[in-house]
Amino acid sequence: MTLEQELEALLFLAPDPVPVEELADALRVEEDEVRTGLQALALALDGRGLVLREVGGGWALGSHPDAEESARRLLARPRTPGLTPAQAETLSIVAYLQPVSRPEVARIRGVASESAASALVQRGLIEESGRSQFGAVLYRTTPLFLKLFGLKSVDDLPDPAQWDPSPEEQTALRERLLRAGEERAGNGAPAAV
Amino acid sequence: MIARLELDLDVFAGPFDLLLSLILREELDLLEVELAEVVLAYLDHLEARDELDLEAATEFLVLIAALLELKSRLMLPGEEIEELDELAPAEAAEELVERMLAYARFRGAGGYLAARREVEQAVLYRSAPLPAALRRAPLEHAEQAYDPAVLGQALGGLLRTPAPIDLDHIAMPRVGLPERLAVLRTLLRRGTFSFDEAVEGADRMTVAVTVFALLELYKRGEAAWEQDEPFGPITVRSEPGGTIAAAVA
Repeated sequence: MTLEQELEALLFLAPDPVPVEELADALRVEEDEVRTGLQALALALDGRGLVLREVGGGWALGSHPDAEESARRLLARPRTPGLTPAQAETLSIVAYLQPVSRPEVARIRGVASESAASALVQRGLIEESGRSQFGAVLYRTTPLFLKLFGLKSVDDLPDPAQWDPSPEEQTALRERLLRAGEERAGNGAPAAV
Repeated sequence: MIARLELDLDVFAGPFDLLLSLILREELDLLEVELAEVVLAYLDHLEARDELDLEAATEFLVLIAALLELKSRLMLPGEEIEELDELAPAEAAEELVERMLAYARFRGAGGYLAARREVEQAVLYRSAPLPAALRRAPLEHAEQAYDPAVLGQALGGLLRTPAPIDLDHIAMPRVGLPERLAVLRTLLRRGTFSFDEAVEGADRMTVAVTVFALLELYKRGEAAWEQDEPFGPITVRSEPGGTIAAAVA
Protein backbone atom coordinates (compact mmCIF):
# COMPACT_ATOMS: atom_id res chain seq x y z
CA MET A 1 0.00 0.00 0.00
CA THR A 2 1.35 3.44 -0.90
CA LEU A 3 1.79 6.17 1.67
CA GLU A 4 -1.01 8.24 0.12
CA GLN A 5 -3.37 5.28 0.37
CA GLU A 6 -2.50 4.83 4.04
CA LEU A 7 -2.95 8.55 4.64
CA GLU A 8 -6.38 8.32 3.03
CA ALA A 9 -7.29 5.46 5.40
CA LEU A 10 -6.11 7.33 8.50
CA LEU A 11 -7.90 10.54 7.59
CA PHE A 12 -11.06 8.58 6.81
CA LEU A 13 -11.03 7.27 10.40
CA ALA A 14 -10.08 10.51 12.15
CA PRO A 15 -13.03 12.49 13.61
CA ASP A 16 -10.89 15.66 13.85
CA PRO A 17 -8.22 17.27 11.64
CA VAL A 18 -4.91 15.40 12.18
CA PRO A 19 -1.64 17.39 12.39
CA VAL A 20 1.23 16.30 10.12
CA GLU A 21 3.31 15.27 13.17
CA GLU A 22 0.64 12.83 14.32
CA LEU A 23 0.35 11.33 10.84
CA ALA A 24 4.16 10.95 10.69
CA ASP A 25 4.15 9.28 14.12
CA ALA A 26 1.41 6.86 13.16
CA LEU A 27 2.99 5.96 9.84
CA ARG A 28 6.56 5.92 11.25
CA VAL A 29 7.85 8.17 8.45
CA GLU A 30 9.32 11.69 8.26
CA GLU A 31 6.99 14.69 8.27
CA ASP A 32 8.27 15.71 4.83
CA GLU A 33 7.20 12.35 3.44
CA VAL A 34 3.74 12.90 4.95
CA ARG A 35 3.51 16.30 3.23
CA THR A 36 4.51 14.79 -0.10
CA GLY A 37 2.00 12.00 0.46
CA LEU A 38 -0.75 14.52 1.25
CA GLN A 39 -0.03 16.36 -2.02
CA ALA A 40 -0.26 13.09 -3.90
CA LEU A 41 -3.51 12.26 -2.10
CA ALA A 42 -5.01 15.66 -2.94
CA LEU A 43 -4.20 15.04 -6.62
CA ALA A 44 -5.61 11.53 -6.49
CA LEU A 45 -8.85 12.84 -4.99
CA ASP A 46 -9.37 15.23 -7.89
CA GLY A 47 -12.62 14.20 -9.54
CA ARG A 48 -13.70 12.13 -6.55
CA GLY A 49 -16.40 12.72 -3.92
CA LEU A 50 -13.93 13.66 -1.20
CA VAL A 51 -11.73 16.71 -0.77
CA LEU A 52 -8.56 17.00 1.31
CA ARG A 53 -8.47 20.17 3.44
CA GLU A 54 -5.95 21.69 5.81
CA VAL A 55 -8.06 23.17 8.61
CA GLY A 56 -7.60 23.91 12.30
CA GLY A 57 -3.94 22.92 12.44
CA GLY A 58 -4.37 19.55 10.74
CA TRP A 59 -5.60 17.66 7.70
CA ALA A 60 -9.10 16.30 7.19
CA LEU A 61 -11.18 14.65 4.52
CA GLY A 62 -14.47 16.37 3.76
CA SER A 63 -17.29 15.75 1.33
CA HIS A 64 -17.15 17.58 -2.00
CA PRO A 65 -19.12 20.87 -2.04
CA ASP A 66 -21.26 19.51 -4.89
CA ALA A 67 -22.43 16.71 -2.57
CA GLU A 68 -23.58 19.18 0.12
CA GLU A 69 -27.29 19.12 -0.65
CA SER A 70 -27.68 15.35 -0.71
CA ALA A 71 -25.32 14.93 2.26
CA ARG A 72 -27.42 17.31 4.33
CA ARG A 73 -30.56 15.40 3.39
CA LEU A 74 -28.87 12.10 4.34
CA LEU A 75 -27.70 13.42 7.72
CA ALA A 76 -30.88 15.46 8.30
CA ARG A 77 -28.61 18.38 9.07
CA PRO A 78 -29.77 21.66 7.54
CA ARG A 79 -27.36 24.54 7.06
CA THR A 80 -26.80 26.46 10.27
CA PRO A 81 -28.21 29.97 10.04
CA GLY A 82 -25.68 32.58 8.98
CA LEU A 83 -24.00 34.93 11.41
CA THR A 84 -25.89 38.10 12.26
CA PRO A 85 -23.91 41.31 11.59
CA ALA A 86 -23.40 41.77 15.36
CA GLN A 87 -22.10 38.21 15.69
CA ALA A 88 -19.85 38.55 12.64
CA GLU A 89 -18.32 41.80 13.94
CA THR A 90 -17.82 40.37 17.42
CA LEU A 91 -16.30 37.20 15.97
CA SER A 92 -13.90 39.17 13.78
CA ILE A 93 -12.74 41.29 16.74
CA VAL A 94 -12.12 38.15 18.80
CA ALA A 95 -10.42 36.40 15.86
CA TYR A 96 -8.01 39.25 15.12
CA LEU A 97 -7.33 40.61 18.61
CA GLN A 98 -7.54 37.46 20.77
CA PRO A 99 -7.38 37.19 23.68
CA VAL A 100 -9.73 40.14 23.93
CA SER A 101 -12.04 41.20 26.75
CA ARG A 102 -15.77 41.75 26.38
CA PRO A 103 -15.52 45.47 27.32
CA GLU A 104 -12.86 45.87 24.62
CA VAL A 105 -15.23 44.32 22.06
CA ALA A 106 -17.97 46.68 23.26
CA ARG A 107 -15.60 49.66 23.01
CA ILE A 108 -14.66 48.88 19.41
CA ARG A 109 -18.23 48.18 18.31
CA GLY A 110 -19.60 51.11 20.31
CA VAL A 111 -22.43 48.98 21.74
CA ALA A 112 -22.71 46.24 24.35
CA SER A 113 -21.93 42.90 22.76
CA GLU A 114 -22.99 40.45 25.47
CA SER A 115 -25.69 38.65 23.52
CA ALA A 116 -23.58 38.37 20.36
CA ALA A 117 -20.67 37.01 22.41
CA SER A 118 -22.80 34.48 24.27
CA ALA A 119 -24.42 33.34 21.00
CA LEU A 120 -20.91 32.74 19.59
CA VAL A 121 -19.93 30.84 22.74
CA GLN A 122 -23.08 28.74 22.38
CA ARG A 123 -22.23 27.96 18.76
CA GLY A 124 -18.79 26.88 19.92
CA LEU A 125 -16.95 29.49 17.82
CA ILE A 126 -15.37 31.37 20.73
CA GLU A 127 -14.58 30.43 24.34
CA GLU A 128 -13.43 32.09 27.53
CA SER A 129 -9.68 32.13 28.10
CA GLY A 130 -9.18 33.56 31.56
CA ARG A 131 -9.59 37.06 32.94
CA SER A 132 -8.03 40.43 32.15
CA GLN A 133 -6.20 42.48 34.79
CA PHE A 134 -9.53 44.19 35.55
CA GLY A 135 -11.28 40.85 35.93
CA ALA A 136 -13.22 40.99 32.66
CA VAL A 137 -13.76 37.76 30.70
CA LEU A 138 -11.27 37.23 27.87
CA TYR A 139 -12.31 35.49 24.66
CA ARG A 140 -10.43 33.47 22.06
CA THR A 141 -11.54 31.46 19.03
CA THR A 142 -11.94 27.66 19.21
CA PRO A 143 -10.57 24.87 17.00
CA LEU A 144 -14.15 24.51 15.71
CA PHE A 145 -13.95 28.10 14.44
CA LEU A 146 -10.88 27.22 12.33
CA LYS A 147 -12.56 24.08 11.00
CA LEU A 148 -15.84 25.77 10.10
CA PHE A 149 -14.13 28.73 8.46
CA GLY A 150 -11.62 26.57 6.57
CA LEU A 151 -8.60 28.18 8.23
CA LYS A 152 -5.27 26.48 8.99
CA SER A 153 -4.68 28.77 11.98
CA VAL A 154 -5.61 32.30 13.03
CA ASP A 155 -2.46 33.46 11.23
CA ASP A 156 -4.22 32.32 8.07
CA LEU A 157 -6.74 35.18 8.42
CA PRO A 158 -6.34 37.88 5.74
CA ASP A 159 -4.80 41.25 6.58
CA PRO A 160 -7.65 43.31 8.07
CA ALA A 161 -6.12 46.59 6.84
CA GLN A 162 -7.86 45.87 3.51
CA TRP A 163 -11.19 46.83 5.09
CA ASP A 164 -9.95 50.16 6.44
CA PRO A 165 -11.79 53.05 4.82
CA SER A 166 -9.90 54.68 1.93
CA PRO A 167 -8.03 57.96 2.61
CA GLU A 168 -10.87 59.85 0.85
CA GLU A 169 -13.50 58.19 3.05
CA GLN A 170 -11.40 58.93 6.12
CA THR A 171 -11.09 62.60 5.19
CA ALA A 172 -14.82 62.88 4.53
CA LEU A 173 -15.63 61.25 7.86
CA ARG A 174 -13.17 63.49 9.68
CA GLU A 175 -14.62 66.67 8.15
CA ARG A 176 -18.18 65.66 8.88
CA LEU A 177 -17.37 65.00 12.54
CA LEU A 178 -15.31 68.17 12.83
CA ARG A 179 -18.24 70.26 11.56
CA ALA A 180 -20.56 68.53 14.00
CA GLY A 181 -18.10 69.20 16.82
CA GLU A 182 -17.85 72.88 16.01
CA GLU A 183 -21.61 73.28 15.87
CA ARG A 184 -21.89 71.60 19.21
CA ALA A 185 -19.23 73.83 20.75
CA GLY A 186 -20.94 76.87 19.18
CA ASN A 187 -24.26 75.98 20.75
CA GLY A 188 -22.65 75.47 24.11
CA ALA A 189 -24.55 72.23 24.46
CA PRO A 190 -22.89 69.47 26.44
CA ALA A 191 -20.95 67.09 24.27
CA ALA A 192 -22.30 63.64 23.92
CA VAL A 193 -20.19 60.59 23.20
CA MET B 1 -32.64 52.22 53.81
CA ILE B 2 -30.74 52.21 50.52
CA ALA B 3 -28.15 49.69 51.80
CA ARG B 4 -30.82 47.05 52.13
CA LEU B 5 -32.10 47.41 48.57
CA GLU B 6 -32.29 43.81 47.33
CA LEU B 7 -30.83 43.24 43.87
CA ASP B 8 -31.09 40.29 41.49
CA LEU B 9 -28.70 40.95 38.61
CA ASP B 10 -27.03 38.64 36.08
CA VAL B 11 -23.77 38.66 37.98
CA PHE B 12 -24.94 39.39 41.51
CA ALA B 13 -27.84 38.78 43.86
CA GLY B 14 -28.00 40.39 47.28
CA PRO B 15 -28.23 43.73 49.01
CA PHE B 16 -26.91 46.91 47.38
CA ASP B 17 -24.30 47.61 50.09
CA LEU B 18 -22.74 44.16 49.54
CA LEU B 19 -22.55 44.91 45.81
CA LEU B 20 -20.77 48.17 46.61
CA SER B 21 -18.22 46.59 48.90
CA LEU B 22 -17.54 43.74 46.46
CA ILE B 23 -16.87 46.28 43.72
CA LEU B 24 -14.66 48.43 45.94
CA ARG B 25 -12.67 45.36 47.03
CA GLU B 26 -12.44 44.43 43.31
CA GLU B 27 -13.99 41.01 43.94
CA LEU B 28 -16.68 41.77 41.41
CA ASP B 29 -15.92 43.27 38.02
CA LEU B 30 -17.83 46.53 37.65
CA LEU B 31 -17.74 46.10 33.87
CA GLU B 32 -19.96 43.03 34.24
CA VAL B 33 -22.56 44.81 36.34
CA GLU B 34 -25.55 46.24 34.47
CA LEU B 35 -25.99 49.51 36.33
CA ALA B 36 -29.25 50.17 34.50
CA GLU B 37 -30.65 47.08 36.23
CA VAL B 38 -29.64 48.52 39.59
CA VAL B 39 -31.44 51.76 38.76
CA LEU B 40 -34.55 49.84 37.66
CA ALA B 41 -34.48 47.80 40.86
CA TYR B 42 -34.30 51.02 42.85
CA LEU B 43 -37.22 52.54 40.95
CA ASP B 44 -39.28 49.41 41.66
CA HIS B 45 -38.27 49.68 45.28
CA LEU B 46 -39.42 53.32 45.37
CA GLU B 47 -42.70 52.47 43.73
CA ALA B 48 -43.37 49.67 46.20
CA ARG B 49 -42.77 51.96 49.17
CA ASP B 50 -45.08 54.65 47.88
CA GLU B 51 -43.15 57.42 49.64
CA LEU B 52 -39.99 59.30 48.79
CA ASP B 53 -37.26 59.37 51.42
CA LEU B 54 -35.24 62.32 50.14
CA GLU B 55 -32.13 61.41 52.08
CA ALA B 56 -32.09 57.82 50.82
CA ALA B 57 -32.80 58.97 47.26
CA THR B 58 -29.91 61.44 47.39
CA GLU B 59 -27.60 58.78 48.76
CA PHE B 60 -28.56 56.44 45.95
CA LEU B 61 -28.00 59.13 43.30
CA VAL B 62 -24.53 59.90 44.62
CA LEU B 63 -23.55 56.23 44.78
CA ILE B 64 -24.94 55.26 41.38
CA ALA B 65 -23.30 58.34 39.78
CA ALA B 66 -19.96 57.35 41.31
CA LEU B 67 -20.37 53.79 40.00
CA LEU B 68 -21.25 55.07 36.52
CA GLU B 69 -18.20 57.31 36.43
CA LEU B 70 -15.97 54.50 37.66
CA LYS B 71 -17.38 52.15 35.04
CA SER B 72 -16.99 54.63 32.21
CA ARG B 73 -13.35 55.17 33.21
CA LEU B 74 -12.74 51.42 33.21
CA MET B 75 -14.17 51.16 29.70
CA LEU B 76 -11.72 53.71 28.29
CA PRO B 77 -8.28 52.28 27.47
CA GLY B 78 -5.43 53.55 29.64
CA GLU B 79 -4.79 56.97 31.12
CA GLU B 80 -3.69 58.72 27.95
CA ILE B 81 -7.19 59.21 26.58
CA GLU B 82 -8.97 62.00 28.35
CA GLU B 83 -12.69 62.42 28.64
CA LEU B 84 -14.07 63.43 25.28
CA ASP B 85 -15.95 66.25 26.97
CA GLU B 86 -12.73 67.86 28.06
CA LEU B 87 -11.17 67.75 24.61
CA ALA B 88 -11.33 70.56 22.07
CA PRO B 89 -13.87 69.80 19.32
CA ALA B 90 -11.07 69.02 16.86
CA GLU B 91 -9.49 66.55 19.23
CA ALA B 92 -12.81 65.01 20.14
CA ALA B 93 -13.62 64.53 16.48
CA GLU B 94 -10.18 63.04 15.88
CA GLU B 95 -10.73 60.54 18.69
CA LEU B 96 -14.14 59.64 17.31
CA VAL B 97 -12.70 59.24 13.80
CA GLU B 98 -10.06 56.86 15.15
CA ARG B 99 -12.71 54.79 16.88
CA MET B 100 -14.94 54.69 13.82
CA LEU B 101 -12.02 53.72 11.58
CA ALA B 102 -11.09 50.89 13.95
CA TYR B 103 -14.73 49.80 13.90
CA ALA B 104 -14.94 49.94 10.09
CA ARG B 105 -12.03 47.50 9.88
CA PHE B 106 -13.81 44.91 12.00
CA ARG B 107 -17.15 45.47 10.34
CA GLY B 108 -15.42 44.60 7.07
CA ALA B 109 -13.66 41.62 8.63
CA GLY B 110 -16.99 40.46 10.06
CA GLY B 111 -18.61 40.58 6.64
CA TYR B 112 -15.70 38.60 5.23
CA LEU B 113 -16.01 35.94 7.95
CA ALA B 114 -19.78 35.63 7.49
CA ALA B 115 -19.34 35.17 3.72
CA ARG B 116 -16.50 32.69 4.23
CA ARG B 117 -18.66 30.66 6.60
CA GLU B 118 -21.35 30.41 3.92
CA VAL B 119 -18.84 29.06 1.39
CA GLU B 120 -17.15 26.71 3.87
CA GLN B 121 -20.46 25.19 4.95
CA ALA B 122 -20.46 23.35 1.62
CA VAL B 123 -17.73 20.98 2.85
CA LEU B 124 -18.89 18.50 5.48
CA TYR B 125 -16.56 16.61 7.77
CA ARG B 126 -16.84 13.35 9.62
CA SER B 127 -18.60 14.10 12.90
CA ALA B 128 -19.05 10.60 14.37
CA PRO B 129 -16.47 9.56 16.94
CA LEU B 130 -14.27 6.53 16.27
CA PRO B 131 -15.68 3.09 17.11
CA ALA B 132 -14.89 2.19 20.73
CA ALA B 133 -12.48 -0.59 19.71
CA LEU B 134 -10.34 1.84 17.72
CA ARG B 135 -10.43 4.51 20.40
CA ARG B 136 -8.54 2.37 22.94
CA ALA B 137 -5.04 3.70 23.57
CA PRO B 138 -2.23 1.23 22.85
CA LEU B 139 -0.49 -0.16 25.93
CA GLU B 140 2.93 1.25 25.04
CA HIS B 141 1.49 4.79 25.12
CA ALA B 142 0.14 4.35 28.65
CA GLU B 143 1.98 6.08 31.47
CA GLN B 144 1.84 5.25 35.14
CA ALA B 145 -0.44 7.72 36.88
CA TYR B 146 -1.46 5.80 40.01
CA ASP B 147 0.38 4.17 42.91
CA PRO B 148 -0.45 0.43 43.09
CA ALA B 149 -0.25 0.64 46.90
CA VAL B 150 -3.54 2.56 46.79
CA LEU B 151 -5.27 -0.61 45.54
CA GLY B 152 -3.83 -2.70 48.40
CA GLN B 153 -4.91 -0.16 50.97
CA ALA B 154 -8.42 0.00 49.55
CA LEU B 155 -8.78 -3.79 49.56
CA GLY B 156 -7.15 -4.11 53.02
CA GLY B 157 -9.75 -1.77 54.48
CA LEU B 158 -12.54 -3.94 53.07
CA LEU B 159 -11.10 -7.23 54.34
CA ARG B 160 -10.71 -6.12 57.96
CA THR B 161 -13.69 -7.04 60.15
CA PRO B 162 -14.65 -4.00 62.18
CA ALA B 163 -15.14 -4.39 65.96
CA PRO B 164 -18.82 -4.83 66.91
CA ILE B 165 -20.43 -1.55 67.90
CA ASP B 166 -20.90 -1.21 71.67
CA LEU B 167 -24.48 -0.26 72.47
CA ASP B 168 -24.22 -0.63 76.25
CA HIS B 169 -24.42 3.09 76.90
CA ILE B 170 -27.84 3.32 75.27
CA ALA B 171 -30.69 2.72 77.68
CA MET B 172 -33.46 0.84 75.90
CA PRO B 173 -36.80 2.17 77.11
CA ARG B 174 -39.28 -0.65 77.11
CA VAL B 175 -42.83 0.41 77.45
CA GLY B 176 -45.69 -1.30 75.66
CA LEU B 177 -49.13 -0.23 74.65
CA PRO B 178 -50.93 -3.24 76.24
CA GLU B 179 -49.22 -2.48 79.54
CA ARG B 180 -50.34 1.17 79.52
CA LEU B 181 -53.86 0.13 78.42
CA ALA B 182 -54.04 -2.13 81.48
CA VAL B 183 -52.96 0.73 83.78
CA LEU B 184 -55.60 3.07 82.31
CA ARG B 185 -58.35 0.44 82.55
CA THR B 186 -57.49 -0.17 86.17
CA LEU B 187 -57.87 3.53 86.88
CA LEU B 188 -61.06 3.71 84.80
CA ARG B 189 -62.81 1.36 87.18
CA ARG B 190 -63.00 4.32 89.59
CA GLY B 191 -65.14 6.19 87.02
CA THR B 192 -62.84 9.23 86.59
CA PHE B 193 -59.20 10.00 87.13
CA SER B 194 -56.73 12.68 86.11
CA PHE B 195 -54.19 12.00 83.41
CA ASP B 196 -51.37 13.24 85.66
CA GLU B 197 -52.24 10.45 88.03
CA ALA B 198 -51.82 7.86 85.28
CA VAL B 199 -48.33 9.03 84.37
CA GLU B 200 -47.05 10.06 87.75
CA GLY B 201 -43.27 9.74 87.95
CA ALA B 202 -43.10 8.22 84.43
CA ASP B 203 -40.50 9.10 81.77
CA ARG B 204 -41.34 10.91 78.54
CA MET B 205 -41.63 7.73 76.50
CA THR B 206 -44.15 6.29 78.98
CA VAL B 207 -46.16 9.53 78.88
CA ALA B 208 -46.23 9.40 75.08
CA VAL B 209 -47.31 5.75 74.98
CA THR B 210 -49.96 6.47 77.60
CA VAL B 211 -51.41 9.16 75.32
CA PHE B 212 -51.58 6.57 72.54
CA ALA B 213 -53.30 4.16 74.94
CA LEU B 214 -55.79 6.87 75.83
CA LEU B 215 -56.53 7.51 72.16
CA GLU B 216 -57.03 3.77 71.70
CA LEU B 217 -59.57 3.73 74.58
CA TYR B 218 -61.36 6.71 73.04
CA LYS B 219 -61.50 4.97 69.68
CA ARG B 220 -63.06 1.88 71.31
CA GLY B 221 -65.57 4.06 73.13
CA GLU B 222 -64.27 3.06 76.57
CA ALA B 223 -63.18 6.52 77.72
CA ALA B 224 -63.52 10.23 77.04
CA TRP B 225 -61.74 13.19 78.53
CA GLU B 226 -61.97 16.88 79.19
CA GLN B 227 -59.42 19.61 79.38
CA ASP B 228 -60.68 23.12 80.27
CA GLU B 229 -57.64 25.01 79.02
CA PRO B 230 -54.39 24.28 77.19
CA PHE B 231 -51.84 22.62 79.54
CA GLY B 232 -54.56 22.33 82.15
CA PRO B 233 -55.33 19.08 83.97
CA ILE B 234 -56.95 16.36 81.86
CA THR B 235 -59.83 14.51 83.42
CA VAL B 236 -60.51 11.04 82.02
CA ARG B 237 -63.86 9.33 82.63
CA SER B 238 -65.27 6.01 81.58
CA GLU B 239 -67.99 5.97 78.97
CA PRO B 240 -71.22 4.07 79.36
CA GLY B 241 -70.87 0.65 77.75
CA GLY B 242 -67.17 0.95 77.94
CA THR B 243 -66.94 -1.51 80.77
CA ILE B 244 -68.43 -4.21 78.60
CA ALA B 245 -65.89 -3.50 75.90
CA ALA B 246 -63.19 -3.54 78.53
CA ALA B 247 -64.41 -6.87 79.80
CA VAL B 248 -64.32 -8.30 76.27
CA ALA B 249 -60.83 -6.93 75.64
